[in-house]
Amino acid sequence: MKIKNNFLFIAVTALFLTACSTSVERLDSQKEVDLSGAWNDTDSQLVAREMVEDSLSRAWISNFVKLEGKEPAVIVGKVRNLSHEHINTNTFIADMERELINSGEVQFVAAAGARDEIRAERGDQDLNATEETRKEMGQEYGADYMMQGQINTIIDVDGTTQVRFYQVNLEMISIKDNRKVWVGQKKIKKLIKNSKLRE
Amino acid sequence: MKKILLTSLFFLLTACAVQHRETNKLASQLYLQTPQQVLLQMQKIEPPERDYAQYHLNIGLLQLFSSDFKSAIDSLSQAKKEMAALAAISISENAAAGTINETLRSYSGYPTDRVMVHNMLALSYLFNDDIDGARVEMLQADIAMKKLATKSTLSGQLASTHLISGIIYEMLDEQSNALISYRHSEQLIKQRNLTVPIGLQKSLLRLSYRVDRNGQYELYKEQYSGFPTPLVNNNGKQIFSLYFDGVVSHKIENSLLVPSGNGEQLIRISMPAYPNVKRVSKYAKINDTNAQVSTELIENLDKTVREDLAEEYPSILLLTTTRAIAKYELVSQADKQDSLLGALVNLATVLTEVADLRSWNILPSSIQFAYLETNDTEITINTVNKVDQTISLSNGSKNLLLISSLDTPVFHYQQ
Repeated sequence: MKIKNNFLFIAVTALFLTACSTSVERLDSQKEVDLSGAWNDTDSQLVAREMVEDSLSRAWISNFVKLEGKEPAVIVGKVRNLSHEHINTNTFIADMERELINSGEVQFVAAAGARDEIRAERGDQDLNATEETRKEMGQEYGADYMMQGQINTIIDVDGTTQVRFYQVNLEMISIKDNRKVWVGQKKIKKLIKNSKLRE
Repeated sequence: MKKILLTSLFFLLTACAVQHRETNKLASQLYLQTPQQVLLQMQKIEPPERDYAQYHLNIGLLQLFSSDFKSAIDSLSQAKKEMAALAAISISENAAAGTINETLRSYSGYPTDRVMVHNMLALSYLFNDDIDGARVEMLQADIAMKKLATKSTLSGQLASTHLISGIIYEMLDEQSNALISYRHSEQLIKQRNLTVPIGLQKSLLRLSYRVDRNGQYELYKEQYSGFPTPLVNNNGKQIFSLYFDGVVSHKIENSLLVPSGNGEQLIRISMPAYPNVKRVSKYAKINDTNAQVSTELIENLDKTVREDLAEEYPSILLLTTTRAIAKYELVSQADKQDSLLGALVNLATVLTEVADLRSWNILPSSIQFAYLETNDTEITINTVNKVDQTISLSNGSKNLLLISSLDTPVFHYQQ
């Protein structure tokens, strides 16, 4: 009887300990997982894809091709986070860049930070690389348009229930003359209910 | 076996109470030591999981005072996350608090903590050169205050939070938002029967002049007269100065030990309380070659934390009474089995009856504000018991200074 009790005790303890241990599961990066209700990778990818699709389907791109006889060169500028959350806008900008490049409909120019590094490398090549492999200064491809934007939120709270409304505004601005050739908007609304009880 | 278990439990629980007193003692050390020294001692403490929020709040603020802004952001964000997770009620913790003592409940922060954490995070982001991060914190603070708002009290409504929001919006040229925040700050100051600081009066006049010259500006001009028309000076420098005076009071334990009606048991009641403290407020003075402005009270945290406790007092009293009855019954049952066991259980119930003395006890006792516009390239900061400090200013810049009565440098953000 005593052995049986001890056995039961060990089994229950083991169950408790496994319940407390850390577990890791690999997930598909495309799988939607919402834990806190905050802005996450799914929102970032979804907005980037839909906004780029919308921008590439509008008239500004065909007008440019007709006039200039080439695809427009685009650069993604600053996306300001005006929301209630600490959103890493760099991942959102990276999603936008990926969608734009993969569309094959526009030329894409590196952002300011990356350009500085490349210029430093060209400067280094000027001194150290052979004549045949050296890349000259002043050959950069100038962008025709810059995409800029904002992420805004409106939050309505009542006790443990929250409605979070995200609005992402993006604009395509002509670098030559500051004309806005495209304005896109994507809205996401989330209802978040937090439990009134915890463990 | 039961007796050994009882003794171990008793030592474990009294150790927690000792640790809370140790944390309070360290907070008082801030008057004698540098924040870095107190931080090192605080980091040696290994708090139980239920005190993590309090621990991270204290550590985070000490890191901010020690100019380690990145670590301050990490610690305070952790505390914010923990307080949010603990907002829900735990049945098991409430049961433990109802039978043993209140310290077995996780520290989820008082209303002042839940809003003030955003203030301290915003300042940490600013001094870490991330004004957008600071703006996010102030938006979150606004939501936190809305959640805590009630019709009958000003619980969790902080004038300093609205003021810092206003400063951040003004630095970002969001003039309407800045005016709204300054106005909220003014309203709370009036509701708390404090005098509206001259710096805030000037901010209301300045922003209303820019946003609504013929409407709101005229109304504020009637209310706050004697100031010149707030014209835009492109070379002028704006200086927003916040002054943190002292360290907020920490709780003490008020206990009462009485024999039961039949004289067979000892019953102990312990309640937390704030002692009566008479403070002599200090101020900072900001000087350029032509003018001197003094900081003025915007938030009396020593009073706010007392209001927080007073609000919680009915539930603490109810739980203390319930616990006394439960402990009485437990001792009676043990005594029926074995009189020695009864005596031991009685001793344990008496010694485990400790008040919850936890609070964010590194906070300043008050927050003050002053505003100065100058054409000078340097200003000096004058505080009691400290050497004057000189701050350099760029043309057309907007500057936020954080000055403390503790042994810290003047923190400076320039936009």
